[in-house]
Amino acid sequence: MNWLELLPELLDGWGMTLRLLAVAMPLGLLLGALIGTVRVYGPWPLRAAAGLYQSVLRGVPLVVQLFVLYYALPRTGLLLTPFAAAILGFGMCSGAYHSEYIRSAISSIPRGQMEAARAVGMSRGQAVRAIILPQALRRAVPGCGNELVYLVKYSSLAYLVTLVDLMGAGRIEANASFRFFETFLVVGTIYLVMVSILRAALHVLQRAWRRSSVGLGA
Amino acid sequence: MSDLGSILAVLLDGLGTTCRLLVCSLGLGFVLGLPIGVLHVFGPAPVRVLLRGFDLVMRGFPAIVLLFLLYFGIGGLPGVRLGSFVAAALALGLRGAAYQGQLVRGALGMVPPGQLDAARAVGLSLAGALRAVILPQALRFALPALGNEYSIVLKDTSLAFTVGVLEMMSRAKFLAVSSRRIALVYGAVAILYWVLTQAGLLGVRALERGTRIPGIGADAGGGA
Repeated sequence: MNWLELLPELLDGWGMTLRLLAVAMPLGLLLGALIGTVRVYGPWPLRAAAGLYQSVLRGVPLVVQLFVLYYALPRTGLLLTPFAAAILGFGMCSGAYHSEYIRSAISSIPRGQMEAARAVGMSRGQAVRAIILPQALRRAVPGCGNELVYLVKYSSLAYLVTLVDLMGAGRIEANASFRFFETFLVVGTIYLVMVSILRAALHVLQRAWRRSSVGLGA
Repeated sequence: MSDLGSILAVLLDGLGTTCRLLVCSLGLGFVLGLPIGVLHVFGPAPVRVLLRGFDLVMRGFPAIVLLFLLYFGIGGLPGVRLGSFVAAALALGLRGAAYQGQLVRGALGMVPPGQLDAARAVGLSLAGALRAVILPQALRFALPALGNEYSIVLKDTSLAFTVGVLEMMSRAKFLAVSSRRIALVYGAVAILYWVLTQAGLLGVRALERGTRIPGIGADAGGGA
């Protein structure tokens, strides 16, 4: 038995995993930037809500979150497809982690920058958008990059809401062929390859941004 | 079987197994992670290469793939008997060992190198210097990150239901089907996990305070 024979069986599932990540990753980053910014600059009720969001989504297992979205929400009349439940679950959970990295990156930008931006006539919103966030996002790259790597691995939980992703395809193949060890070894290796490519890409991005940015060495 | 009280009773019934799995996984991760971290820094080259391979797999495979690999893959080999609890503790423990090994390695790097030289100069062996001088400081540096590791491993114990471990999540799945109060059940189990996460983080913070040595550690800027 050639292990390579397993690859075609897993290809469709792999495609599903990539589609999931293609939507969930940007969604998570967007949510993270929004919530992280609100945590620092929002009015206090919004700050408190953002803090609660971070605490809950980082303190409850992702499986539970996925089950709430996919199995419990329909009870309230909101029916999500498995794909929608998965990207929403991944995006929201990932966003909570991103937001914490982005919050602490924003806090690390010297206060004087906001004052200087206001002094030259920018509004608070403009200063955040044009001065603070471009620097903070660069500083958040190591943390957010780590979170993206985690998301690639945790996307394997999509099969628990009946999606046939890479992990789901692996389970079907393993159950059909009884070749559990080989199948999960190949599945794991594909995740490993995705994770390694992502780590390498993040490394390149980090170096490029470090060169092009002000204050990182300061 | 449908009011909150009886739902909580069944969930709490699984809490014991969740905690046992958490303690075994974290314990195995620490017992292996500590020497792994030391060997990352002080081990001979071939050992370091081997450890990098171990690291690559443990930190590159999703937890659930590791679990299935152990339970269905290795547990399915002829002559191997691997219970679901043991498989789950091994999967989470071995993965934790790789992560905790990295934490220990990072913390060892925070201890100024002159300290090892000084300890050797006053006659301590490498092992003696590690035990008496370097590790007591490094482990304190590693504590905050170990708190993070606690929260990750706790949440990942909820994956053990996929191989039939009767922990809290498996009780929740059972209740969701049998009681039909799906939102209530998953809401309750979410709150229980959240409380456990917060309790652990408070515990680690207390441990940090309790083991702090004035003049060494965060308040002294790492002593560097």
